[in-house]
Amino acid sequence: MTVTDHVPPAAAADPGPAARAVDLVKTYGKGATVVRALDGVTAQFDRASFTAIMGPSGSGKSTFVHCMAGLDVPTSGQVFVGQEAIDQLNDAGLTKLRRDRLGFVFQSFNLVPTLTAAENIALPADLAGHKIDPAWFDFLVDQLGIRDRLTHRPTELSGGQQQRVACARALIGRPDLIFADEPTGNLDSKSSGELMAFLRRSVNEFGQSIVMVTHDPRGAAYADRVIFLADGKIVGGLTSPTADSILEQMKQLGN
Amino acid sequence: MWKATLKGLLAHKLRLALTAVAIVLGVMFVSGTFVLTDTLHSTFTTLFNGIYQHVDFEVRGKAAFSGPAGSAVRSPIDQSIAQAVRKIPGVADAVGTVTGYAQLVATNGKAVTTSGAPTIGLSFNPVSQMSSLHIKSGSPPTSPNDVVIDAGTATKYHFHVGHKVHVLLLGPPRTFTLTGIVTFGTANNLAGATIAAFDLPTAQTLFDRVGRYDAIDILAKPGVNTAQLQRAIARVLPPKVEVVTGQTVANEATNSINQALGFFSTALLVFAFISLFVGGFTIFNTFSIIVGQRTRELALLRVLGASRRQVFRSVLAEATIVGLVASVVGLGLGVLAAVGLRALLSALGISLPSGSLVFELRTVIVALLVGVGVTVVSAISPARRAVRIPPVAALSEHDVVATESSRRRIIVGSAIAVLGVIALALGLTKPAIALVGVGAVAIFIGIGMLAPLVARPMASVIGLPLAGLLGIPGKLGRENSMRSPRRTAQTAAALLVGLALVSTISVFGASVSRSATGSIDQAISASYIITAAGGGGQGQFSASTAGAAARVPGVTAISTVYTGEFKFRKDLSQLTAVSPNRLAQTIILRMQNGSGAPALTAGRLLVDTTTATSDHLVVGSTVPAKFALTGNTHMQVGGIFKPNSLLGSFLVSDKYFLSHFDNPLPVAVLVRSAAGATAAGKAALNAGLRAYPNLKIQTQAEFKASQQKMVNQLLGLVYVLLALAVLIALIGIVNTLMLSVFERTHEIGLLRAVGMRRRQVRAMIRSEAVILSVFGAIIGVVVGTGLGIAFAASLKQQGITDIVVPFSSLIVFLVIAALLGLAAASWPARRAAKLDVLAAIASQ
Repeated sequence: MTVTDHVPPAAAADPGPAARAVDLVKTYGKGATVVRALDGVTAQFDRASFTAIMGPSGSGKSTFVHCMAGLDVPTSGQVFVGQEAIDQLNDAGLTKLRRDRLGFVFQSFNLVPTLTAAENIALPADLAGHKIDPAWFDFLVDQLGIRDRLTHRPTELSGGQQQRVACARALIGRPDLIFADEPTGNLDSKSSGELMAFLRRSVNEFGQSIVMVTHDPRGAAYADRVIFLADGKIVGGLTSPTADSILEQMKQLGN
Repeated sequence: MWKATLKGLLAHKLRLALTAVAIVLGVMFVSGTFVLTDTLHSTFTTLFNGIYQHVDFEVRGKAAFSGPAGSAVRSPIDQSIAQAVRKIPGVADAVGTVTGYAQLVATNGKAVTTSGAPTIGLSFNPVSQMSSLHIKSGSPPTSPNDVVIDAGTATKYHFHVGHKVHVLLLGPPRTFTLTGIVTFGTANNLAGATIAAFDLPTAQTLFDRVGRYDAIDILAKPGVNTAQLQRAIARVLPPKVEVVTGQTVANEATNSINQALGFFSTALLVFAFISLFVGGFTIFNTFSIIVGQRTRELALLRVLGASRRQVFRSVLAEATIVGLVASVVGLGLGVLAAVGLRALLSALGISLPSGSLVFELRTVIVALLVGVGVTVVSAISPARRAVRIPPVAALSEHDVVATESSRRRIIVGSAIAVLGVIALALGLTKPAIALVGVGAVAIFIGIGMLAPLVARPMASVIGLPLAGLLGIPGKLGRENSMRSPRRTAQTAAALLVGLALVSTISVFGASVSRSATGSIDQAISASYIITAAGGGGQGQFSASTAGAAARVPGVTAISTVYTGEFKFRKDLSQLTAVSPNRLAQTIILRMQNGSGAPALTAGRLLVDTTTATSDHLVVGSTVPAKFALTGNTHMQVGGIFKPNSLLGSFLVSDKYFLSHFDNPLPVAVLVRSAAGATAAGKAALNAGLRAYPNLKIQTQAEFKASQQKMVNQLLGLVYVLLALAVLIALIGIVNTLMLSVFERTHEIGLLRAVGMRRRQVRAMIRSEAVILSVFGAIIGVVVGTGLGIAFAASLKQQGITDIVVPFSSLIVFLVIAALLGLAAASWPARRAAKLDVLAAIASQ
């Protein structure tokens, strides 16, 4: 692992931020038709903090999260997960990174339809060939209220239940960072509220770090911090946001 | 990961079953062939070992060279040898045996015919412990008027002890009294052959062996050192006579049967592998579609931390499980098929010695290896495509399709096809059958890879009349088949291969048929051709027939045709003999050099122009030759004739032939009648030959028709064997259409929602199926025609002089392919029509 000169090494006691992006640029196409999806984004995500990323469609928020998660390769700039520069990793290294250190929650739940809820939760550990921690599994299942749904297939679950199973799957490996991509996009308001409350608690109580892309100011208000993206650039930020302050900021940004 | 793979498999049982059927059928074919031939092998080995169990030694003439299928041609030996052998201390008994042609006439006056097996006559060995024949009822033959026959024939034709039996022989037919019914070892007969046994002196007279034996069976005294005894016997034998153990004779008999079985088994295995090859195409296609449909799921697994290797393995694991399950089922069905086939052979009158089914470990290993192997190999390319799916495909709202550059496919496909053509050309010129096979496989794979190039334009053209005929449903079916040229081509590939093979056989068969019969009127001038009825064209008949035919009023010329094996220089070749007297009245011999009939009469050899060119022969050349009976000799070329479709490459006079072969049976007798071929002339001939009910007397036209019929029967058999491959291809189409319907649930729901009727949905799916099938069939017929022409052209030396493309048959194949496509669509079409509109629209 190499750490470039302008990034000072972190103190031994301090594990440093959960993830960092340094001057990320992502372009598509060539010549006159070039599209700059990310145009020099630098950001830091602290441990045990909850960050929301907002912005209009085409602002680059999905590209940003994909690059952060090692799913997409930036044109230039660097991404660190913990101390590790992920642009140095090959496909096998990225696979291991996703498997062991990252968690994902998607808008469309993305559970494997042929597996039961319990099997879906255990899937990352199964893929790694690890045993899951049974106490942690029980704890999560009880916290998320899905114990009586464990033997059901995804098609037998409601949207809210499916997303709670997806949350358990993301949390089971105690990842360094969870990426949530519009996690409430397909949920009704009650389920959305419950889910956001749980994510908030996971940050407060288990020290989980979360980065969430969302359109919804009410959801973003659960975060510690909001980053606003537009045209591939960071155009604003809020700490300890409320739904109102977020809406206010969005208005100012011409939304 | 294993859990996800297994659960994924179980969730799609129908898909699994349809994919597996292709392999089940192929493996069934393979294992059935093995079980059947192993069983036959084992029963024949047991049978012959049992028969020769008590014959310690056999004295016989040395074989000059071996004929086809391991049969050796041996000269008879003097019967005085038996007396000499009997005097050797340690020899308990020595009995001479003779064999020859003896065909029974059934009580209804018709000759007893077999389907290819010989009609054997032999001497009955009265020393029961040495005899291969065991009296089942009645008594052994003891007088010149006695005969015993095998139990199989006796039962089938209702012969009973005491009956008078008419027997056709080398000389004039004779009537005998049936004194006994015998079994051959433990079997009722020998694989369909008929057996008539006489007492030894009678048999010697009947088979022209007076004073001679074909062999002497020897029984040793108990406790004698067999090696010493064998040496002692060898010392009293004249040159060119040998003594071998009974075990050796049993092994030779078993080996020659096994060679025939080996040919049978190889032929069946070729078709089994064709089926598996076609099955491989359908599996490749199914897995390609499955991977396509599971793009999102596989990408999700990659996001969650599945490595490329895990994704690759999961697809291959699915293939392995499908292959394994299918192979096990196929193996079981194969055993049942073998049982069924054996019963069928029995029903056809080919009585087989009883014996239990032989199920060798090799059958299991080959079946599993081949079944799993074909499935896994076919799934490798789809698995590689699965690996290329980027994880981000799970997150995007649109389907990200991992595409392989079509340029690379074109280059690789062309390279494989060109290499295939080269291998095929080399294989055909050498000739090397294995290379031909590899070449054909490579050509099919190459064409399969290139087919997507033409899929869109061809589907568009084929679909045009459907769109016109059926309106919107036809138009949509056409659009669907054009939407993914690659899938269209992949789905059609299996049918392409099946139809290519059918067309190859059709072109090849038509060429063989035309070459064999087209020039019959250019080859013979005889009014009638007499051949043996039955025996699958290999039947035998008495040499005395010619004499009887010559006595029929109006007959002006007779030529007896013989054929036999001899060594021309170093190569085993076929020699044909005709009567040179009034040659022009029976045979059309167009000479290029030298003389015809005079040269034959002078004992010279005539060769055809092809052989003369390839062997650098001119009139007057002297060539070394070897006959089994008479050994090395030299033959002088007396003339060179233009190829004659009935005469082969080497021609001598009947007199010359008879001096080098021991009592050969004629293959045909050519008869010229003064009045030509008339109904009255034929009736007269029939009357004159009434004593020989095994004869088939035909005019040239009838002969031609029956030759064509024979070729067509053989073709029919090949078509039946290829039908399985076509069936597998159709199952592949059913499978693809089912997957397409499933994939387009949402779209079909939309069409239904905006007013498409069920009938129209069915028409849409059927249109697509017909386009798919016709597309595959057209390419298949074109490729197959090319292959057929190549095969036929490469056998020009072997007498395929005319190359015929049977257009009407090929068009029939296209029509049949379209109808089969329609049939394949019926289930998927019904399923699509039954979709619940609301649920379909809701599904994503």
